[in-house]
Amino acid sequence: MPLSVTLSIEGDTTVIELEGELDAKTAPDFHQTIEKAAGHGTSTVEIRMAGVGYMASAGLRSLVFAQQKVADHVTIKVVGAIEPVSRTIRTAGLDRSIQLSDD
Amino acid sequence: MVEPASKPSVLDVPAKIGALGEIAAFVLRLAGRAGLGKQATYRIRLAVDELATNIIMHGYRGGCGRITVRGRSGPGGVRIVLEDTAPPFDPVEGCLPPATGVPPQRRRVGGLGIHLALTSVDEYSYARMDGRNTSTLTVKAEGTDPCPPRP
Repeated sequence: MPLSVTLSIEGDTTVIELEGELDAKTAPDFHQTIEKAAGHGTSTVEIRMAGVGYMASAGLRSLVFAQQKVADHVTIKVVGAIEPVSRTIRTAGLDRSIQLSDD
Repeated sequence: MVEPASKPSVLDVPAKIGALGEIAAFVLRLAGRAGLGKQATYRIRLAVDELATNIIMHGYRGGCGRITVRGRSGPGGVRIVLEDTAPPFDPVEGCLPPATGVPPQRRRVGGLGIHLALTSVDEYSYARMDGRNTSTLTVKAEGTDPCPPRP
């Protein structure tokens, strides 16, 4: 199943909305969008994942990449991830530096 | 132990990222046939996907090769056997627990996929036989999802 990635700016927040499946095949699309998002210079990058039904470790790699690309003061939020996806993020310990929230 | 009753299903695909979808569909079909719950289905899919991705990216190093996926399903659960002819690699030895104490900016993510795979299944074993890496993964139907009420 493909991944659809949309990028927008809402005030001081860059919003990346993902829908579909995030695996080794589709993660490069997310990667490219992160590059663009990091260039926006907003204080928050919000990744909306409610529409992601599956995420493999390639998605974790993208989240780490996001943290590496943005400036230190930028907050990264993952919003709306389904339980197995947020569990994968927690397993990797990324919830220490990325804010996970339901909505 | 899962002793699924069905005949084994076999899928043989080129070791390419593009084949991951076909492997996932194969696993999901078996999970459906076994009547696995949502969580158990997610876990077996994740485990097979991570190990197959590792074979493609690191086993064959992006070169030519094939992956054979054999599966059996039954009321007890699903058992998947992954085979490849890449150089010997035992995922248990390559499994790194997440370095949660290291800041993400300096975090090494390699090996995490295998960690996810091995912690997602109920049983795992590896063997090197006749020049093939063989991984056997089992996810049980029982106890993986909220149980139906006892009669």
